[in-house]
Amino acid sequence: MMRLRVDSDRCVGHGRCYELAPELFGEDEEGHCRLQRTKVPPELEAKARSAARNCPEEAILLVEDE
Amino acid sequence: MPFEMPTENPSADGVVNVVDPKFTTRPQPIYERILHDFRVAKMIGMHSPILSRYEDVVYALRHPEIFSSEIDMKVMLGNDRPMIPQQIDPPSQVRYRKILDPQFSRQKMQQLDGAIRQHANALIDAVVDQGGCEFDAAFAVPLPCRAFLSLMGLPQEELELFLELKDGVIRPPVPPMDLIAAGEYRAKIGKRIYAYFENLVAERRRAPKDDMVTYLTQVDFDGRKLTGHEILDICYLLLLGGLDTVTSTLGCSIAFLATNPEHRRRLATGGPEVVNDAIEELLRWETPVTMVPRVLKQDVTIGDTTLRSGDLVNLLIGAANLDEAEFKDAMTVDFEREQNRHVAFGAGPHRCLGSHLARMELRAALEEWHRRIPDYAIQPGETPRVSPGIREVLYLPLVWGAGAA
Repeated sequence: MMRLRVDSDRCVGHGRCYELAPELFGEDEEGHCRLQRTKVPPELEAKARSAARNCPEEAILLVEDE
Repeated sequence: MPFEMPTENPSADGVVNVVDPKFTTRPQPIYERILHDFRVAKMIGMHSPILSRYEDVVYALRHPEIFSSEIDMKVMLGNDRPMIPQQIDPPSQVRYRKILDPQFSRQKMQQLDGAIRQHANALIDAVVDQGGCEFDAAFAVPLPCRAFLSLMGLPQEELELFLELKDGVIRPPVPPMDLIAAGEYRAKIGKRIYAYFENLVAERRRAPKDDMVTYLTQVDFDGRKLTGHEILDICYLLLLGGLDTVTSTLGCSIAFLATNPEHRRRLATGGPEVVNDAIEELLRWETPVTMVPRVLKQDVTIGDTTLRSGDLVNLLIGAANLDEAEFKDAMTVDFEREQNRHVAFGAGPHRCLGSHLARMELRAALEEWHRRIPDYAIQPGETPRVSPGIREVLYLPLVWGAGAA
């Protein structure tokens, strides 16, 4: 299963992730990314990849488990 | 042989003419040549270094300890002190962002969506039956100003005053190359801006409201209140940052869409997701804020060029957004682009404070405009005129309906 990690030191609140994949990413009070879940169900894998690819700070990490 | 000014831009030795009308109206081919030929180019006049590669620009934006924002810009924008938080570095900058970011989050900005759509529709009402308009004056200038007044909780009757103040600072009405007259004019307007907000702060301290300035007078800032100067230095930035940038993005976007009917139809008929992707791609392609300045805190070597501590460095964001090393088919405008990490709003700790406001304004404006005026073109025989610096399309004559046929 695919897992998500966010490097909060890199996140500066562009907000592309919660715009592109609101099922996986939310926003905290300052508009920084807050993970809604860390395990990505198969039907949301494409959205997770899209969010990671479009983060200007490269703060989103996808890990593919066995 | 008479001496001739180089007609090529960039010149053979890498000098970029940023006031060249070819650059202001259609910078993309020039960016492409800079990226190809000069890892470190030079600014016309001062010959200060220009960085343009995506990796170099992003590195600079993410390393404020090397590429500092604490530049002496007083002469340029009429302010007496650095604007907060744009012209100060971390760690102080980060502390200010902690109290400002919540006021500019996407959630917060969505509350303004209805008001901005109303403003947009009122502006469209005034021109829709005329079969055409000059887009800058009719829409691109007033909309962001009305949005700013809504954001600040100020009466819409202040529109003319705010337009006068921001124009006075950004485009002072003096001969183009008279820098002394420009500086004096800006300083005079700067004093009026401070005076306006000083008054407003005093009023809100006396009688608090539910608005931005009241928030700034009350918010806890590391166990104390913000000082009067701090509040003024924030307000100065909000005024200057919030108006021209969105005006320019609207103008550049509509000018592009007016001349690219396939893209326009895609945006007008594609639904909300297409509009969002189109906005990101237009931000990348047009990059209305073409460059941002930084000052070096230490020597840095980029490629085979060593830049010196104290140097002013220009980060050419517009070129970085067209770098083939980062963007596949960078010179193609593709509303379905799968990966778009453009830095039109900057990157790193100074990421544009108003980016969520800007995106919301652009979405509301482009949706409402295309819902009501889906087909339009540039008036035949006319050429749009774009300002240097922040790329405002100062003259954008549009026609639609019978006039466009």
